[in-house]
Amino acid sequence: MGTTVTLSQNEAAANDCLAAINDRFSGSGVVASVERHSNAKKYAFVRITTPPQHWQALAKWLRFDLGVNYCSMVTGTHYPEGPQERGWEVAYHFLRQPITDQLPNTHTVYVAEKLDGRLIPMEFEVLIPLENNDSPTVPTVQHIWGGADWNEKETWDLVGIKFEGHKNMHRVLNPHDSPEGFHPLQKQHKIRYHDHNEMYDDAQGFGRKPADEGRIK
Amino acid sequence: MAQMWITMGPQHPMTHGLWTLRVKVDGETVVDTEAELGYIHRGVEKICESRDFTQVTPYCDRLCYVSAMTWANSYIYAAEDLLEADVPERAEYIRLISAELQRLASHLMWLGAFGPDIGNLTLMTWCMRDREMFLDLLQELGGSRMHYNYPRIGGVKRDIPVGFADRMIAKVKLFERRIDEYEMMLDESTIWLVRLQGVGYANAEEMVEAGVSGPNVRAAGVNYDVRWAHPYSVYDEVDWEPAVEKPTSVKGADCYDRYRVRMEEMRQSCRMVLDAIEKIPGGKNTNYANGDEMIYQKAPTRAPEGATGFSNYECTRGASQFYIQGGGDGRGKNPYRLSIRSPMFITIPFVAKTMIGYKVADIPAIMGSFDPCIGETDR
Repeated sequence: MGTTVTLSQNEAAANDCLAAINDRFSGSGVVASVERHSNAKKYAFVRITTPPQHWQALAKWLRFDLGVNYCSMVTGTHYPEGPQERGWEVAYHFLRQPITDQLPNTHTVYVAEKLDGRLIPMEFEVLIPLENNDSPTVPTVQHIWGGADWNEKETWDLVGIKFEGHKNMHRVLNPHDSPEGFHPLQKQHKIRYHDHNEMYDDAQGFGRKPADEGRIK
Repeated sequence: MAQMWITMGPQHPMTHGLWTLRVKVDGETVVDTEAELGYIHRGVEKICESRDFTQVTPYCDRLCYVSAMTWANSYIYAAEDLLEADVPERAEYIRLISAELQRLASHLMWLGAFGPDIGNLTLMTWCMRDREMFLDLLQELGGSRMHYNYPRIGGVKRDIPVGFADRMIAKVKLFERRIDEYEMMLDESTIWLVRLQGVGYANAEEMVEAGVSGPNVRAAGVNYDVRWAHPYSVYDEVDWEPAVEKPTSVKGADCYDRYRVRMEEMRQSCRMVLDAIEKIPGGKNTNYANGDEMIYQKAPTRAPEGATGFSNYECTRGASQFYIQGGGDGRGKNPYRLSIRSPMFITIPFVAKTMIGYKVADIPAIMGSFDPCIGETDR
């Protein structure tokens, strides 16, 4: 019991990170804030919004100065009706994990309540809005976090965001011979059945007429 | 000797699912590998954009067919973040119990499938026998054996049935002794040790760098668990400690360590549910009606544009995460974008690379010890 990170530790760590980011990046267009989840234990996390040109510098600094060692998730989103400066968005989720390599026959058991400073686990969300055009491009961080590699592959495959400098980019979830430029999570692609009425009226699918009939291969 | 590429999968017992491992071999030695995924990509993320927040739960159940409850819970926490829903404490306890029972069932499925990989066919029948106990318990909650659709945004579908607590305690206590039986059978089995020890080394820092998580990292001696690091539910109120294994080499954890850590994790899950059922608010033998405020609190159904929800959840194979953006179709009734992070999607390409240098015959042992599940990998 009492083995979990407490709210006050979490709060302190989030504020420390925010101060460090502001200290290093204030005035560059990188905006950071401490946000709070509204589920479960209402823990705080750090949200950073950065223009794409500062992303690699920020990434290196997060990885090597702030100790953010775990890239967990990359999400691309398409906003076809969004404003000119935000037609696409890439959201990276990172975790800072207090992990060091082990000597044989040892293990590290953290007493969560006694962790402080850089050892407190922390969650980071980095949002990169991209211009509303046909070729959204963001610099890759594949060489900074190994965990970003396959996540970026997936984001390109499904959403069509190009990761500039990414080595060995290829289809991962779609068939390898998918047509060039086909990225199913872009909003112009509609799924075949729009609501269940349509499905139940014609359960066998004989009169099937997808919304994008005639417009796709 | 000439090197050549051979293809293992998509139909191969080693895959534990449906994917292809291309292996470049030099005689018996693996010199390069490549993982090919996507055979059962169903487009869950796209489908969810045309479903409302309640309708998404069954799709999340089906992400992983041996661990439906943890995936549904993981989605529910993200939806609760997005919709700003409050959850009664009794419901949090029930979720913890259901998730830990699911973890037991999932680890048993892993052990049952891993045994035949190594050459121990008996293990499959033993594990299926014990998994049945936990599937029965989960069926009492959700109504079906594998896909429960049990948690709700703001609580759970229905309360624990009368008598569930006693049946659960009896089964879990029996199973605690069964774990000892498994260890008697496996820990000193020559075939088990020869096939697992000294095979498939991976160290903690490499794994974290590559994005691997969960029991696979804890096997390398590092205590990092979402359940204490980014706590959700009531893990701070029940009695448990994360399972961590001491690796025996500087090279990190081998297959044997990964087997050990999962056995220990099953023990901890037993300990957790036995403690939680005694501490559950409202009493373990009461049964509240569906929708009672003890187990369910009505949540908003629409999320405005710009709102986001995120959850980080210790699934049976590592950290599963959901990221949801509000403001989709139906004036915010649907998610605008729902993104799923599957631990195995990251782990499988990493494992493929750790096989380099070992023999072809070691591949099933290495792959199996990481507990792959392709349903969640391909989504």
